[in-house]
Amino acid sequence: MQNKDGPQADGELEAATSNPTPDFDDWAKFGDDDIMQQQTAIRAEEAEKAPFVGDKEPLSSLAAEYQSGSPILLEKIKVLGEKYAAIRRTRGDGNCFFRSFMFSYLEHILESQDRAEVDRAKSNVEQCRKTLQSLGYADFTFEDFFALFLEQLESVLQGNGTSISQEELLLRSRDQSISDYVVMFFRFVTSGEIRKRSEFFEPFIMGLTNATVEQFCKSSVEPMGEESDHVHITALSDALGVPIRVVYLDRSSCDSAGVSVNHHDFIPAVGGLPNASGSTETVSPFITLLYRPGHYDILYSK
Amino acid sequence: MAEDKYNLKNPAVKRILQEVKEMQSNPSDDFMSLPLEENIFEWQFAIRGPGETEFEGGIYHGRIQLPSEYPFKPPSFMLLTPNGRFETQTKICLSISNHHPEHWQPSWSVRTALVALIAFMPTNPNGALGSLDYKKEERRTLAIKSREAPPKFGTPERQKLIDEIHECMLSKAPPVPQVNSSQAPEEQPTNIDGEAQVNLQNAGAIPTGEVQNPPVAVGDRIVEEVHEVPVNTDTSPANVRASREVPSSGLADQLLQKPENRAHKAADDRLFTLAAVGLTIAIVVLLLKKFLKSSGHGALFMDGS
Repeated sequence: MQNKDGPQADGELEAATSNPTPDFDDWAKFGDDDIMQQQTAIRAEEAEKAPFVGDKEPLSSLAAEYQSGSPILLEKIKVLGEKYAAIRRTRGDGNCFFRSFMFSYLEHILESQDRAEVDRAKSNVEQCRKTLQSLGYADFTFEDFFALFLEQLESVLQGNGTSISQEELLLRSRDQSISDYVVMFFRFVTSGEIRKRSEFFEPFIMGLTNATVEQFCKSSVEPMGEESDHVHITALSDALGVPIRVVYLDRSSCDSAGVSVNHHDFIPAVGGLPNASGSTETVSPFITLLYRPGHYDILYSK
Repeated sequence: MAEDKYNLKNPAVKRILQEVKEMQSNPSDDFMSLPLEENIFEWQFAIRGPGETEFEGGIYHGRIQLPSEYPFKPPSFMLLTPNGRFETQTKICLSISNHHPEHWQPSWSVRTALVALIAFMPTNPNGALGSLDYKKEERRTLAIKSREAPPKFGTPERQKLIDEIHECMLSKAPPVPQVNSSQAPEEQPTNIDGEAQVNLQNAGAIPTGEVQNPPVAVGDRIVEEVHEVPVNTDTSPANVRASREVPSSGLADQLLQKPENRAHKAADDRLFTLAAVGLTIAIVVLLLKKFLKSSGHGALFMDGS
């Protein structure tokens, strides 16, 4: 569970706030059963508070959240307001990065009707499929998730029988039987990319946890509800070839000359080169996510 | 509760149907599992007692329930045949107490879980809930008894399925459990200790592994190898079979994986030699071709000028 709803969310370490939510009811002992029930209750409560993907809100609603909070944050939100107009919140269920990415990407396609991008993405998805196959995944374990994502990708393009509107996209993103499948699709893609380029990712993973690449994918990428880190973002961005900008809103301040808001662009690797991340302006991301320690939401530029 | 009609639009149904298909097209000698006709969220299964353990020759039946959120949530297992390792009619807890269990993940399947369950049979229960710690002799007696008749459980339709599975498993299972062939009772304990670390999550983490290949073939090859190399007596075929599914994390896993590597080695060497010869021939042919081509061009050029 993430505490994205807490205005002071940023005070704690991400690791400390994350409480992975295993879904073991049936395996579990009585003690675990109790924990499970509690977690289910927490999740139900969370679900009432926020849908998987919220409505678009003006940036002022973000400021309102920190009204009595840290002045640095308020200052930073003001700076954010110069470039960004709105925010769309996602539920803090550990899948927020993937969920934000899902909506943001599909919405972009819906608005831009960029067929070239869809074709490009599709060929990357096929590549990901091959990656998983070569890693030994049985087809039936992932093909439903792939099929469902491709279906969504197809339906945001207008002009065919299955086309959907913005409202329908939002509804689908809130429908667990679609939304979770797409999130899981991204988890498969991310895991496949990390395993495929395990040498590249290994040092990052070592820096993050003490796990091997294999363990990391098994415990932090593939299970639902496991939070994402820069490793996940890098891998997903590379695998799908989609650049992602992450804007950081935390209490760190860079002294003197007023506050500024940091961002990091994840620019996908080209031709197998490692992710050339940094503020390269050659490719500009059309997906912008707002990161507050422990949580990702979607940002809209002015 | 179990008999609710399912919706064909339900993605879980689609997935389960695919698993049924996969299960049927890649049958294993070690286990068999099928859903009830009227409800595909309810399965029956039988596993064969792992070889060279006190369970050898046993046929153990059980029931699987798949949650409506499958594969996001794990299936639950329950044994019906008395076996001396797990209580019957009790949901099996495959995570070892005081061990933080890893998460179930959608890339696992009923097959994965059954393989894990088999690997779990000879392990030390460590007091886990629903586990039993019977003596070897008692377990052996139960193994013999398990072949006599399948358990009586549930509706007539379910019973029919149980009986069918029993027939089928019996026809494939080794003739009679060799009660007297307690060749290495002394070695078993150490083996069991070493294996106590194997948990469902490790054993089940197949994403890699040969899920798609008929696992039987792989298992057989490894088993043969083990028989040829008597040094490995402490690695029973059952363990080796399990090792195929076990990623190389943890000491126990690494121990288990050794025999497999050895099995590959001879074949690998032969392959390398073949590849080297093949490559050499290819290079020579290419060089010749290039040489001929360039000299031909050269000649032409000379003629032309």
